[in-house]
Amino acid sequence: MIGKLRSVRLALAAAAFIGLGLPQAHAAKDSLVVDLVNEPSSLDPQVQWNPDSYYVYRNIFDNLVTRDDKGAIVPQVATSWRQISDTEIEFDLRGDIVFHDGSKLTADDVVFSVKRITDRAFASPQLGQFDKIVDAAALSPTKVKLVTAGPYPALLAQLVKLSIVPKAVVEAVGKDAFNLKPIGSGPYKFEAWQRGVQVTLTRNDAYWGTKGPFPSVVFRAVPDGATRLANLQAGSSDLIVTIDADQAAQLKNAPRAKALIGLTERVAYLRLNTTKPPFDNPKARLAAAHAIDKAGLIEGILGGHDKPVPELLTPAIFGWVDGIQAPAYDLAKAKALLAEIGPAAKAEIDLATAPVFDQRIVQAVQQMMTDAGFNVKIAMSDMASYLRRAQAGPEATSLLSFGRWSCACQDADGVLFPLLHKSSGWSAYRNPKVDTLLEEARATLDANKRLAAYKQVHEIVATDVPVVPLYQAVVIYGAAKNLEFTPTPNESMFINRMSWKD
Amino acid sequence: MPGFLLRRLGQAGVTILGVVTLIFFVQRLTGDPTYLLVPETATQADIDALRTALGFDRPLFVQYLDFLAELLRFDLGQSVVQRVPVTTIIASRMPYTLMLAAGALVVACGIGIPIGVLLALYRETLLAKFAAGLVLSAQSMPTFWSGILMILVFSVLLGWLPPSSTGGFSNLIMPSVALGLLSMATFARITRAALLDELSKDYARTARSRGVGTGRMLFRHLARNASIPLITVAALEISNLLAGAVIVETVFAWPGLGQVTVQAILARDFMIVQGVVLLGAFVTVFLNLLSDILYSVVDPRIVLEKAR
Amino acid sequence: MMRAAKTALRWWPLAILALAVLAAVFAPWLAPYDPNQQNLLGRLRPPGTTSRSFHYLLGSDELGRDLLSRAIHGARVSLVVAFASVVLSGTLGTALGMIAAYRRGWIEMIVMRVVDVFLSIPAVLLAIITVAVLGPSLLNVILVLALTRWPRYARVAYGQTLSVVNMPYVKLAALMGAGAWRILLRHILPNIVGAVSVVATLEFGLMILFEAGLSFLGLGVQPPTASWGAMLSTGRNYVSTAWWVATLPGFCLFVLVLAVNLTGDAVRDRLDPRLR
Repeated sequence: MIGKLRSVRLALAAAAFIGLGLPQAHAAKDSLVVDLVNEPSSLDPQVQWNPDSYYVYRNIFDNLVTRDDKGAIVPQVATSWRQISDTEIEFDLRGDIVFHDGSKLTADDVVFSVKRITDRAFASPQLGQFDKIVDAAALSPTKVKLVTAGPYPALLAQLVKLSIVPKAVVEAVGKDAFNLKPIGSGPYKFEAWQRGVQVTLTRNDAYWGTKGPFPSVVFRAVPDGATRLANLQAGSSDLIVTIDADQAAQLKNAPRAKALIGLTERVAYLRLNTTKPPFDNPKARLAAAHAIDKAGLIEGILGGHDKPVPELLTPAIFGWVDGIQAPAYDLAKAKALLAEIGPAAKAEIDLATAPVFDQRIVQAVQQMMTDAGFNVKIAMSDMASYLRRAQAGPEATSLLSFGRWSCACQDADGVLFPLLHKSSGWSAYRNPKVDTLLEEARATLDANKRLAAYKQVHEIVATDVPVVPLYQAVVIYGAAKNLEFTPTPNESMFINRMSWKD
Repeated sequence: MPGFLLRRLGQAGVTILGVVTLIFFVQRLTGDPTYLLVPETATQADIDALRTALGFDRPLFVQYLDFLAELLRFDLGQSVVQRVPVTTIIASRMPYTLMLAAGALVVACGIGIPIGVLLALYRETLLAKFAAGLVLSAQSMPTFWSGILMILVFSVLLGWLPPSSTGGFSNLIMPSVALGLLSMATFARITRAALLDELSKDYARTARSRGVGTGRMLFRHLARNASIPLITVAALEISNLLAGAVIVETVFAWPGLGQVTVQAILARDFMIVQGVVLLGAFVTVFLNLLSDILYSVVDPRIVLEKAR
Repeated sequence: MMRAAKTALRWWPLAILALAVLAAVFAPWLAPYDPNQQNLLGRLRPPGTTSRSFHYLLGSDELGRDLLSRAIHGARVSLVVAFASVVLSGTLGTALGMIAAYRRGWIEMIVMRVVDVFLSIPAVLLAIITVAVLGPSLLNVILVLALTRWPRYARVAYGQTLSVVNMPYVKLAALMGAGAWRILLRHILPNIVGAVSVVATLEFGLMILFEAGLSFLGLGVQPPTASWGAMLSTGRNYVSTAWWVATLPGFCLFVLVLAVNLTGDAVRDRLDPRLR
């Protein structure tokens, strides 16, 4: 494992060398400008869960472990780790990491970071990702032990998101001040936050790993997608987030911009409420699965970049099983199934969605289901109302809802459990067999056992259709022609993995 | 006069309390921000824990009293999303809002008032008709459409102006024009009406019959009297511009109060919304009061008692 | 001949309005296709192209729907929203303003303070908050606009009623035993309706733009309902590659609002004798 990792790091360092080694490339780009949708809500890595903040603070902080561009878990602060028992895991830490204020990163800082985020009184929105960790202890300045409540197979996947904050600084300045002036150990240092305007980071020239290619990086908030695209085309920004395939197509002939497209762990799905008509009838659910032309959605609307999936996961997630057979697109069969059901099939179905989702997909789904004989009405509400209703349980939630799921952990436990298990607000499905399988897969560290359990879940989903998995979503960035950057499955944006070619 | 002022101040207090109460309760009908704050994988227990920690599980009325108590201490509270004091957020956005409002006002008055004069004095000329059409056209386009067209033409195609965000004076031009065009017609209309009104009065007729030139008359007499309704409108427009520039700010990524408030509404970040609306109410009430007083300064005939 | 041309020129705003109303009323018969029928193989086609059974006279949108048909149906949303919200807010505001001025006392105080409260909150923000509460839909958009705009009418109606209520003929009517309702409707309303209409003409065009703005923020009518505002706000993402998607609804909105404003100006000139 370690040998492989070392070669990865060497490759990264080599790539950085090529990018940085040329002096004119260095001089040509002093500052990278990134257009986000909103400004970060906060730069303290432990008090929010918000993509625009994540893009920024992940460059300021190092995490215990991280993922490479392909999605494999690789060392960052921890160099290696071993499972001591079902509930204990030990990490060896790098000894040469220095925070931006000059102090050394030690095991105490790791323990402090774990305890801070798992402290209920701290009220971190991320608590749920780490609350299986019941204890953390420093065994030496470079060795840490974590204890979980029972076997917890997704632990490493969750630790990818654990940023290490400096204990001494946080304790000295307090939570509010740290939020205003965060200090980490990452490849970029926090420089300034002109609230509402931009966040500026400068390169950490003393960074232990791959150094950033740009002396400074500016993150701006540009809420309107059309404006972000115009900014890129006018050359006032170098990288923009959140554009769709049609906008990406506009960049095809652009003189100084291009689209960067990468498949992600995110899975798009339709969730059916299996407790109410018409979807309390398995035939109606099967009809819905046959009614949706996934390839048509992808080729027709999404520019052909996304990939249809037969199961409620994507190949970027642990738990993906090849060869699952999902109901294929077959309009005649869908109609026939609905005819068998009779008038009950005509019950009005509300399709819940929010403005952030791609309305073209939602409307196309409505059209496809209408063609099959369903009676579907779109119910759009703002995101807060959508989330509240989506998690209200089978009694109160909508009959049908469109969503795009990412647990940012690339583990089936973060997808299947919340969407199917009866204990979760998101689930509108009641199947004791599935519940048991999900609990089993969560309670063992044996990867093969877990895969076997998830395979059974996928098969049940394919035949009983509590959800219709649609496609593996892509993430699309707009970038300046000269910017080299590989989108990752977990949609992270590490500046020190980018390069600039003149 | 002091009696009148006291009464007006009392009314202003009631109004502001009403604004605050209305916004407090209407917002909370939509739930709270916890669902937006947590990751998808959060369980119901996690969500409930966060809700308790943020204080949203308390009875509404308790939260309301708490909020009022904080207000009395001049504390607008803290944003639950950004975890910084609301006053910090408002203070950082305020300069941009003022800049944009000033820019828009310059555009609106600079074009609207001359056209209004033109319309009053030379109503039947072709130029006047053209100007009238121009003013109305400018008002008839949604800003999210005219805004992006301006960006595409002047930034992407011609490269004359920066497409969005802040930085220098050139960044202010397009948003000011986009916003100013909307109120331009209002100013033209009021100017024209006020001038026609004055022109029909005896003193103006006499002056005209004595052969006083239009230009001289305009500056000597008309301007002063016709400025009264203009002041009122300007006062109303300023308060509209303060938080009403929502769409222009969104299109041009201009970090004003309107943009942050809409984001806060959608994020259920109640404290920011309350703070901004409270500030807006203060400004409106204050400007109304000020314009009443200005009335009496510009035109001593108006006695303050009469105003409402 | 010249004269006829001049008359025609003067009346074109009304003609546009009439055209929009006709399009709205007879949309199902006028539109060549179902406005919601998608054709994923014929997305973003320029005007004049044919794809499968569609002939896109004015092009197709991001889901291959016929833009002409959607524009015709879109007239319904704009007109219904503007008309209904103006009538609702106008009626409510006028009634409250009149009652406040006629009854005086605590009714006056409450109504006018509520008016102040509403006028002190920027209408856009109040509308966004209420749509978030109610959820976006055609009916809710109308209700929200009515709710946020009535104070403007109330203030005008209040002021006008105050100046009319002391006129001799109103006092005479009261002396002769006419009830409050009769006085308000028979004697006061006819005298203030002009001033209220002036506000209404200004508001009508504004409401059309307001609906479009809510659509831009994702808080307008429910998809897939064709609305010019929603069509324009999606179409603006494709301006550089498929200009027709935004241009058609943009043009419709612009011409309709301009016609409304021009008509409004003409009406105001008639109603307000000072401006003659």
